[in-house]
Amino acid sequence: MIPLLAVFLIMLLLKSSALLPFALPGQTTSIALGFILVFAYLMGSNLKRLSLPQITGFILAGIVCGPFVFNFISESDVNDLQLLDGLALSLIALTAGGEMKLGKLKGHLKTIVSIVFFQTILVLAGFIFLGLVGQYFIPFFGGMNFIQLFAFSLLLGTLMTPTSPATTIAVITETRSAGRYTDLILSAAVVKDFFIIVLFSFSLSFAKSSIGPSYDFDMTFLLRILSEIGGSVFIGIIVGGGIILYLKFIKKDITIFILSIAFFSYQISHNYGFHPLLICLIAGFLAENFSAQGQHLINAIEKSSVPVYIVFFAMSGASLDISALRRMWLLALVCVALRGLLKFSGTFIGTSLTREEKGIRRWAWTGFISQAGVALGMAIVIQNNFHDWGTEFLTLVLAIIAINQIIGPVFLQKLLIKAKEAGKKN
Amino acid sequence: MQAIYAFGLLILIAFLGARFITKRSSLSPVNYFFYSGFVYIFLGLSLGPSGLDILGPRVLTGLTPLISLGLGWVGFLFGFQLETKYLKCFPRKFVSLSFLQFLTVFFLGTSVFSLILKTFYANEQSALLYGMAAAMGLLMSLNSPTLLNMASNVMPSRGRYHYLARFLASVSGFWGIAGLALIFSFWHYPFFESNALWKGGGFLLLSTLFPSVIGYLFHYLTKKRTSQEQMLVYLLGMVFFVSGAAFYFNLPPLYVSMVMGITFSNLTKIHEKLYPLLLSTEKPLYIILLILIGALWELNLDLKAMILVGSMILLRIMANVLPMPLLSSILRFPDHLPAQFGLCFLSSGGIGVAFAVSLKLSYPLPLTDVFLSVALLGVLFTEFISPWGLKYSIFPLDAEGKK
Repeated sequence: MIPLLAVFLIMLLLKSSALLPFALPGQTTSIALGFILVFAYLMGSNLKRLSLPQITGFILAGIVCGPFVFNFISESDVNDLQLLDGLALSLIALTAGGEMKLGKLKGHLKTIVSIVFFQTILVLAGFIFLGLVGQYFIPFFGGMNFIQLFAFSLLLGTLMTPTSPATTIAVITETRSAGRYTDLILSAAVVKDFFIIVLFSFSLSFAKSSIGPSYDFDMTFLLRILSEIGGSVFIGIIVGGGIILYLKFIKKDITIFILSIAFFSYQISHNYGFHPLLICLIAGFLAENFSAQGQHLINAIEKSSVPVYIVFFAMSGASLDISALRRMWLLALVCVALRGLLKFSGTFIGTSLTREEKGIRRWAWTGFISQAGVALGMAIVIQNNFHDWGTEFLTLVLAIIAINQIIGPVFLQKLLIKAKEAGKKN
Repeated sequence: MQAIYAFGLLILIAFLGARFITKRSSLSPVNYFFYSGFVYIFLGLSLGPSGLDILGPRVLTGLTPLISLGLGWVGFLFGFQLETKYLKCFPRKFVSLSFLQFLTVFFLGTSVFSLILKTFYANEQSALLYGMAAAMGLLMSLNSPTLLNMASNVMPSRGRYHYLARFLASVSGFWGIAGLALIFSFWHYPFFESNALWKGGGFLLLSTLFPSVIGYLFHYLTKKRTSQEQMLVYLLGMVFFVSGAAFYFNLPPLYVSMVMGITFSNLTKIHEKLYPLLLSTEKPLYIILLILIGALWELNLDLKAMILVGSMILLRIMANVLPMPLLSSILRFPDHLPAQFGLCFLSSGGIGVAFAVSLKLSYPLPLTDVFLSVALLGVLFTEFISPWGLKYSIFPLDAEGKK
């Protein structure tokens, strides 16, 4: 606790008004990043002593030091660090892809599909129901006709469906877990993300058509999203092939090579609208499963995974507008509770049908609570498309993500410990 | 499409690098160019705004923290090896020679460059020109032991000249980086309008005290049993924090992180534990720094700049070679140091380019763009010829000594 306070006080002093006249206001990004690396790690270590996941500490550190509390990481810092944040996400996705072993996937395929299907259907149905019933207490749903209400509830439901693969892999790496629960949860989170992007494009096109006079369905948007996904898969295959060849013929400077893959994925996605998460997931998956040296790549990333996780999760914490929680906490809590209930039901039905063991049927749902980048990104797209109520919608989604992102890793860690899979990885 | 070219280029360089680096048997300039990683500066140049523009201004802004980390890393590594316990093992005359060698090169370089710069850029402020001339002098005084380390594997015989040269090349950076702190403090940008001495003194104090405190904190955090993971995060975080603070207050990142390295190194007892970590992280960070330095380099050279480059190379050779016999007789060295001994100090390694880029980043003026170009070209050229310098200096000297 003393080092944590010491680092905090040093930063407070450096950012104090007494030293401000000697500082360059445009040069805050590096100091912010250096500070958050140490501060978030110390916070994570303190939480670890309380048997909580480190990444919850990273996220909390991001919230505390972010623009909405102490402003040690300003909004412009968060923007300037987007590139590093993107690189971190690509590295996390490479690890996640590398953790999906083909042999194990084949064995779990039925259960994964079943979980994804029932979770998605139930969460969508539940939130459509909430929208239809709750039109009187959800402020921005008031004054909509039935089709609009249906369309926007579908959007809310779509946003409530995904589980963050990044958070999942971070907790799995931290707890060094391996086993059936671990494989099921990670694989289902990844597969679900893939389908959610498609579902989101459909829901958004539907919602956009519902506010027009002729209810024209926006096919071009849907096609664009599909081509982006197809392109991402294609590039992922190319990158994966490149990794395999590199590992076979060159082998040198793997760290630099990994960083350039992350940068390449980020840059190409940024320029052409592809999904870096998908590209790196597929590349990591191919490298792991179709190269004898694939494990070297994943090991090299995992060796320096903690700084990467700190950057990613602290930045995601700093991006969370905590004031949103103050404004919409009650409704957000209702949504979080409903989402949890629906995740439980979906997982229970899905795993019961594939005759999974009792523990998985009862408790696997706790691994699907976390939410991060994908949902947040979608909420921002919604805000940009629906100016009348998009901001309020974003505030609600931010509040829900804030809660889920704090409790999600805790739930997952407890599950992995309960399932006796923590510490099983060699 | 450009991203694909970039990716291809990187792989090509990695492939060529892998081939050259594995052939360590010869000490050729091309071999050394790959070994030292300077080829990555050209990769950066081709990816930067002067080339494919993949690392354009927007991307470079996003990657500023990595530049800051790279500079901090170079400074920290340098400071970390300055442990007084080990420095005391060397004769005092070595330290004195190092300081005198620095002074000679610095004064010669500064005075000649002051004259040239005053002639070429008569319209610029005198203070700025003198500051830049002093920076040139400091840059020329920096040496690197990288080449000597590489040569250790291929030298026919290693003797006392090699031993002395390695010591001098290893510690010379201290004087240059400390000098850089004086420039940054007293020619602080934005320039002081009044009380320059007091304010400069205040900045110098801040540049020294702040990293000492962080160095102590780093020691405090790592003095209990620390895992490799903890060590990596603390190390990265502290170096980032210190060099980030240097950017925030416009202090020299190399000096600030060097002070942190010295403080930590003299307090800690975990050198053996930290070295493998430093070795495994050094290369990637160094390569990233070189690529980014290349990307920051705007290669617009005119005749004046070319003359400056030529002068820098010539002065560096002369200032290292000519005074050597005089210095050895002033210090009454038991072994006479011939002029040719100075030829083994042509390489300034990573510190040289880090020095140049930190100045360019902290002084966003048109003249510092010229400085960066001149400094990089000068350093790259001397780096390229440095293996020959070594072959004509300590190779024959040590062989003679063995007889």
